[in-house]
Amino acid sequence: MSKVGAVIRREFVERVRRRSFWVMAMLGPVFFAAIFLAPLWFARGGGLKRIAVVDRTTTGFGVAVAVGLESTRGIFVVRRILGGPGVEDSLAREVGARHIDGFLLVSDSLFETGAVEYRASNVSSLEDIALLRQSLGRVAENARLERAGVNPGVVARAQVPVTLRTNKITRGRVTGESAGQSFALAYFMMVTLYIALLLYGVQVMGSVIDEKTSRVVEVLVSSIRPFQLLLGKVLGVGAVSLLQFLIWGVAASALIGRRAVLEGQLTDRGQDVGQVFQLPHVSLATGVVFIAFFLGGFALYSAMFAAVAAISSTEQEARQTQTPVTVLIMLAFFSSFATLANPESRLALALSLVPFTSPIAMPARWAAGNVSGIDVAISFALLMLGTVAVTWVAARIYRVGILMTGKRPSIRELVRWVRA
Amino acid sequence: MPDPIVLLDHVTKRFAGHIAVDDLSLTVPRGVIYGLLGPNGAGKTTTIRMILDILQPDSGTVRLFGEPGGGRAHAERIGYLPEERGLYRKMRVLDVLVFLGEMKGVDRRRARERAGEWLERLGLADWRLRRVDELSKGMQQKVQFISTILHDPALVVLDEAFAGLDPVNAQGMKDTVLELRGRGATILFSTHIMEQAEKLCEQLCIIARGRKLVDGTLNDIKRTHGGQHLVVGFDGSTGTAAQVFADPRLVTKVDNYGQYAELELASGADPQEVLRQLVASGARLSRFELQEASLHKIFIDLVGPVRGDARADEDRP
Repeated sequence: MSKVGAVIRREFVERVRRRSFWVMAMLGPVFFAAIFLAPLWFARGGGLKRIAVVDRTTTGFGVAVAVGLESTRGIFVVRRILGGPGVEDSLAREVGARHIDGFLLVSDSLFETGAVEYRASNVSSLEDIALLRQSLGRVAENARLERAGVNPGVVARAQVPVTLRTNKITRGRVTGESAGQSFALAYFMMVTLYIALLLYGVQVMGSVIDEKTSRVVEVLVSSIRPFQLLLGKVLGVGAVSLLQFLIWGVAASALIGRRAVLEGQLTDRGQDVGQVFQLPHVSLATGVVFIAFFLGGFALYSAMFAAVAAISSTEQEARQTQTPVTVLIMLAFFSSFATLANPESRLALALSLVPFTSPIAMPARWAAGNVSGIDVAISFALLMLGTVAVTWVAARIYRVGILMTGKRPSIRELVRWVRA
Repeated sequence: MPDPIVLLDHVTKRFAGHIAVDDLSLTVPRGVIYGLLGPNGAGKTTTIRMILDILQPDSGTVRLFGEPGGGRAHAERIGYLPEERGLYRKMRVLDVLVFLGEMKGVDRRRARERAGEWLERLGLADWRLRRVDELSKGMQQKVQFISTILHDPALVVLDEAFAGLDPVNAQGMKDTVLELRGRGATILFSTHIMEQAEKLCEQLCIIARGRKLVDGTLNDIKRTHGGQHLVVGFDGSTGTAAQVFADPRLVTKVDNYGQYAELELASGADPQEVLRQLVASGARLSRFELQEASLHKIFIDLVGPVRGDARADEDRP
């Protein structure tokens, strides 16, 4: 068994030494940070709008407008000027000199028909314009209600919106996790599993094809059984993937820990935009399910990738031959969206039981829905059975294929190898 | 008599459509240089792969060191240099050697020491931390050779070890084979180049189309299959030598060039009798020389004209 140990160590050390491993290790947290910090960063900018109000009203309504805008966050009313000749031109010059961002022409028509004009250097920020319109609307609404003899406070109380708080019950316990958080977690796990299965499966393939094209394999199989060699490879690359996940996990938790600080730096309206991406709580059980199904799926798919490499003579040929395997992984990934949409559907159930799709579908269903431990155990047992069966077939193809050069074998030949 | 190092007993291996090795038996005694000879596609590589447990025979048995179990069970005692050579190109030289040593059951620290010693000895010490693909081809071959003998094997198997070597490297390989032999190792090597086999082998086996044609010591094979060859040179007068050459009891085949003739003697014919008759015929002789048949000639006679070979099939299990 020390030989298998040597194979594992070689795979591990050679991979971890490579620059590409550390590039991936860095990219993971960057990608992770981008997912939850980008919305904050993009929402920033603009900041306070400095505007002037040109009051052409005859009723003193302009005062109410200025006060109403002043109390709106993000808008600062520099001053209120009574309309007169030359006022608009001088304000336009101030905008040009960037003393103010723009000015509002308020007349009685705002009260009657809702028409009002805003002149500014930037009128394309939909968010700013919407904010302005909302504030003006509220001021006009209140003024109209008052004129009609209705107390705006009464209306406001009548209009208090419903806040529906979602709270997920998982395995009989309230988790304090919202629908958004469950979805985000399931989605995040799916993407990570998909990328990792492809990434590390292809690494096993590369390792096999490397030994085959360099002919080292002939010396190796004179000293170690092909199955042991394959086992060592899968375990070695698997260990690399675990290290990669560990690095990502530590980096992610460090980022989450400093989240408040980062948010503070990125935005001055933290509270509002912070809700764009809610960070779910990742429990230990979720972590275990994720890692267990990843490793099961990795063993299953890397055995297939190894068989693909064994029947190919060059790396290019392997890249063509791998298509059925990569398509299978893609199928598992895309079909798992059904699991996100409805974790209790028959389709989701089926996907989380079939060994080829369960490595992605089951963790997603676990995170998104209410899956019992028994369901997970059954799914995992099936995955193990599938992995053993696929590995058995793949190992037989591998055993013969690694010594073969030249033409790629036909399906019929493959069947014969497996039977032999 | 000690157990032979390699014993093949009626071994047969079939691949789809053809028989690669057909009922082959051979014995490699301890401490000899043994040649496995045959044209391309004769089944040499398949035979070697069965000895090393890379392939399993369909029938028959392989015994190594007088013990049951194939080559993999005895991997610690066997060094193997396959015909198609190669190393991990992206690994450091020392790491490759340590890893391959571990595959042969040498523990890590010991493998590191030995690899260091060998690299020193072959002038590659400065390259130990370089990547294999930074080395020249000649250096890579040295590294590969170190990997073959790092664990001090009792049996060294070299498949077409001389193929593709330049004269300097071929000489180096020959010296090393003799050195290994001097240290008590048994060497089994395959080749289709008879000149090399003739210089190196003490025992050999010639196979073609998967079948054994002959085996034994080089001398025995030459004696029994070489026939007797005679070169006769005349000094002016040939007398009635042509009549002597025509006697079927003495000569079976003659190439007469007038002042020079090559004869193949009939089996059992005494060369002294030919000499006596030639002198009696009145011929003046400038040369009378008994010649040993070359292994090359024996090989051609046994195998027949070399046909288009079945090389492509040989690699296909």
